[in-house]
Amino acid sequence: MLDMITDFVDFVMPVAPHFILLIAALIAPAIGMKSGKASAIFMLAAGLFALGVTGYMMYDGGYNGRVFENLYEFNQFTGFMIVLFLIVLCLVVVMSYGSSDNKKHHGEYYSLLAAATIGMMLVCASVDLISLFVGLELAGIMSIALVAFKKNDPRSSEAAVKYLIISGLSTALFLYGMSLIYGLTGTLNINEIVNALAGQEITWTYAVALVTMIAGFGFKIAVIPFHSWAPDVYEGAPTPVATFLAIGSKKMGFVVFFKIFLLLFVAVRATGEIQELQWLFAILAAVTMTVGNVVAISQTNIKRMLAYSSIAQGGYLLIVLAVASDYALVGGLFHMFTHVFMKGGAFIVVGALCARGLSENISDYRGLSRRAPLIAFAMGVFMFSLAGIPPLAGFWSKFILFSAGVDGGTWIWLIAFAVINSAISLYYYAKVVKAMYIDKGTTTEKVKVSFNFKFAIAVCAIATLAIGFFPGPIIEFCEFAVKAFIP
Amino acid sequence: MIPLLAFVVVGFFGNKFKGGGTAIAVLSAVAAFALSGVVSYAYLTGDLYSTSQPYVASIKWLAFGSYELNFGIYIDSLTCVMMLFSSFISMLIFVYSIGYMGGEGKKKRRYYAEISLFLAGMLGLVLSSNFLEMFIFWEIMGVCSYLLIGFWSYKHPEGDEASMKAASAAKKAFLVTRLGDVCFMAGLFVLLWTFTSLDFTVVFDAANIASAETGMVILGALLLFGGVIGKSAQFPLQDWLPDAMAGPTTVSALIHAATMVKAGVYLIARSYPLFIQNADVMLLVAIIGAVTAFIAATMALNNMNIKRVLAYSTISQLGYMVMALGAGGYLIAMEMQHGVPTAGILATVGFTAGVFHMMNHAFFKALLFMGAGSVIHATGTEDMRKMGGLSKKMRKTSWTMLIGCLSIAGFPLFSGFWSKDMILEATMEPSIAGLAAGDIFLFLFALAAITAFLTAFYMFRMWFMTFHGKPKDESIHCHGESPKSMTIPLIILSIFALGSGFLIFFGLGDIITFNVSGSGAYYFGGDGHTPAHIFDAIVTNIWTYVTMGLALIGILLAYLMYARSLINPARFNANGRSRVYRFLNARYFFPELYDQIALKLGFGVAKGIDYLDKNLIDGTVNGISNAVVGGSGALRKIQTGHVRDYVSLIALGVIAIMAILALLVFSGGI
Repeated sequence: MLDMITDFVDFVMPVAPHFILLIAALIAPAIGMKSGKASAIFMLAAGLFALGVTGYMMYDGGYNGRVFENLYEFNQFTGFMIVLFLIVLCLVVVMSYGSSDNKKHHGEYYSLLAAATIGMMLVCASVDLISLFVGLELAGIMSIALVAFKKNDPRSSEAAVKYLIISGLSTALFLYGMSLIYGLTGTLNINEIVNALAGQEITWTYAVALVTMIAGFGFKIAVIPFHSWAPDVYEGAPTPVATFLAIGSKKMGFVVFFKIFLLLFVAVRATGEIQELQWLFAILAAVTMTVGNVVAISQTNIKRMLAYSSIAQGGYLLIVLAVASDYALVGGLFHMFTHVFMKGGAFIVVGALCARGLSENISDYRGLSRRAPLIAFAMGVFMFSLAGIPPLAGFWSKFILFSAGVDGGTWIWLIAFAVINSAISLYYYAKVVKAMYIDKGTTTEKVKVSFNFKFAIAVCAIATLAIGFFPGPIIEFCEFAVKAFIP
Repeated sequence: MIPLLAFVVVGFFGNKFKGGGTAIAVLSAVAAFALSGVVSYAYLTGDLYSTSQPYVASIKWLAFGSYELNFGIYIDSLTCVMMLFSSFISMLIFVYSIGYMGGEGKKKRRYYAEISLFLAGMLGLVLSSNFLEMFIFWEIMGVCSYLLIGFWSYKHPEGDEASMKAASAAKKAFLVTRLGDVCFMAGLFVLLWTFTSLDFTVVFDAANIASAETGMVILGALLLFGGVIGKSAQFPLQDWLPDAMAGPTTVSALIHAATMVKAGVYLIARSYPLFIQNADVMLLVAIIGAVTAFIAATMALNNMNIKRVLAYSTISQLGYMVMALGAGGYLIAMEMQHGVPTAGILATVGFTAGVFHMMNHAFFKALLFMGAGSVIHATGTEDMRKMGGLSKKMRKTSWTMLIGCLSIAGFPLFSGFWSKDMILEATMEPSIAGLAAGDIFLFLFALAAITAFLTAFYMFRMWFMTFHGKPKDESIHCHGESPKSMTIPLIILSIFALGSGFLIFFGLGDIITFNVSGSGAYYFGGDGHTPAHIFDAIVTNIWTYVTMGLALIGILLAYLMYARSLINPARFNANGRSRVYRFLNARYFFPELYDQIALKLGFGVAKGIDYLDKNLIDGTVNGISNAVVGGSGALRKIQTGHVRDYVSLIALGVIAIMAILALLVFSGGI
């Protein structure tokens, strides 16, 4: 009996965090029958437990292993991304409880949230396109249900339908690309595909395969021109879900890009140059960040503004693919990490204020520094961090990401673009700070925010500040992940 | 020495961020000054100084890729001078604030926390051991100034309209200086790429500079200068500074005299080894400085707001400093680049003059601003037309202000006289040496000399309007002299404004120099001009007397026009209707220009792209999909109809990406 247990533990070890969440997702609806609070606490506990297990697995050199006939693996990179997604899950769970958006069906809600997280974690762990696809769909379908969770709000349903259709299309494109790749290489294992493709000349089939895959995932990370759904969906979805999409599911899209294209570029780098695809990504990056930032300026709804700013941040991250060096990936992972806290924090503040009856218009934030000084201060920190004002977390991650681009010399124009863009972005971030601190509000009535929101905001603000002052450890953490990822 | 330095860092950071009450802030400023004094003393009397070495202590902060970033302190003679005067003046301003901000009640806490952070930012910037660290403190000051200028946005003493102005001025200051910050940041990347490090010890090493790519060094220097233009309000980004007057007067004093705007000039002085690599860069610096000095002085001529006059004078004086650094650097650069022999040690007079003027300016400008603050405190208005005859009611303020005015006007023996004269001499030098750009420098000298005349005129116009004659507006009630906490700093400062010029003869001349040693290494401090030499140069120079004369004529003219009313000012401006008058009043239409650019270009483009995004792209897609789908157009009426547009957009996107890729692959020829 004991043997069986140890065998089983050994067997599932590489997917242990997923396994824990899976069990939690199955139990959650049962607990939710009794009380919403209990299911939130239960899910938070499960998330933290999984986080602990992941941390333990990564500790001291880390655990490496594969499971299910080489479908899933665990290494420092996978661990890094899992940690990131679990943090997202925990933050979203904390902010969901007490959010006015979901009154009923707590158990199901948390269950869906956990399942979507499992999907994202599976994507990180996949070494095979099929398993990757399974994770992707798991996360995608759960997200659609989550977006539609405000049943009585037509905006929510509309957003869900949009999301469903667009995500269906992107899946179709991805599948099409995948089948072409299979035709070209005869395998679905990512490492083998990369090696097979690295030696090939670019042919039309090859190009179509790659482009359809870019389009398929471009949807997930809202690259221009596949971005149009994002502002609508963020605006319509319940705020916690919008948070989840902005800081969670977006990262999953990037993981896929890294897994396929970055590895491809790295493999090719050994044999020769594959500049044109990198150029393609550079162009996409430049266009995405510019359009995202410029359109964000004219937004008056804060959720839409944050959506466009997310698009722009996605543009910065695409620099990683254009530059395609280890160092750039360190910057990219670091930026993803800080982005979770600063963008997550901003969304949580929005959620908290929505729950207290403030609208999503930036003009409603006028005079907030008097009505809720601490919340306003935290929001200021998030905004300045997103804009890249030192010494906050966002400055470091941007700095490292951009300096990676300067490294080779080829991409200086792209970095110049990015620097100018981050200056533009300051305009709309400063607009929020100005509204909070400098404009006069119509009322000075205090805004009371419930404890769980305060807690989540405090966690994000402290993380943003702490990483700002001591970025060293996190960068090291990212470097370990990159070493595991790029052989 | 090391534990002492560690204590400095702890002292600066430990004290500052608490904010707390008045006492803590003031005490921390005093402590900062005391520590600066101790550290400077230790450095200047130590072995490092006599061997012209900087003191560097740093810890590894983080490493990424092939780069390493340190966090540390870098002390040389320049640091010492900056540290001493900025902490000293800040200390006095903090003390002054006790009286000035006394009535602010609960908001005092925020005020003191912010000015403390401001001072910490400045000292951190001065002590930084690398460009990145400097940039961080630079930005901290930017954010602080944003908050401080907007301090009265809730309830400005002068009513609602003024609060609105405060809010928009804060935003303007932040965004305009930000334009400079972008340049600075781009400069950081360029330098990082060129030197693979941002440490001063590496970047300023002569051998490293020699082996680096010259073009990149020049580009880096130019981008850094872009940062300076933003921060030190140089042409064409000078416009935010007068608007920043909307904040409390103490903040203006802090920004103008001790901290923020000086940071830009300090950046040039600090990066001198980079700047002097190319003579043309230095020429540009000098030209920008001179133009700034001139146009700011003309704008000050007809302004009626006491604080704005001072703001323009700050810009003008900053222009002087930048010009001096540029002119001096030009000589050094010419010598290094083309082997043009210059008058040896005279070449560094530009650097000395620039930094020296920065210090003197700190004293007299702090004095002037705090004096103006005292006047505003007593009368409750900033409009000079409503003042007058105040000298009887506010004796101390009026006398100290007079000293400040004499000093800034360059009246002989006052501090401003010495440094301004050195600047003019430095500007003359290239033309005396017969260099290629000598004529340009002669022109710059003429501009600077006219500016000296204008400065004397508008400063005394201000003084006479404010303190002389009879009260012009009976509704303005003067409360009499300000409290002691405000007048004592004024008196202390007036002593410095009177006497700090003489310091140049007592060793300061040796401390603020920049030299290129025989082996080609750069160092700050060390051999400078002998006092006798400087004295000689100033006294025997005919141009000294010309500028002195111009200043005196300026004062006389102001006296005749505003004190004696012998010449009616209205004759010159046709009672405010002449074109020149309006042109100056509209600040050469710079604000309009900015607004046009910002609104039309920035917001317009934003709107435009948003419009394109919403209508044109979607519209095109609509058109295409309508054509394809034909009759199903009716479906668009239902609520989710737009999704189809998005879908078509994706399809189009795929095609576009294919096209780009095809273009890259097949025309790129790879």
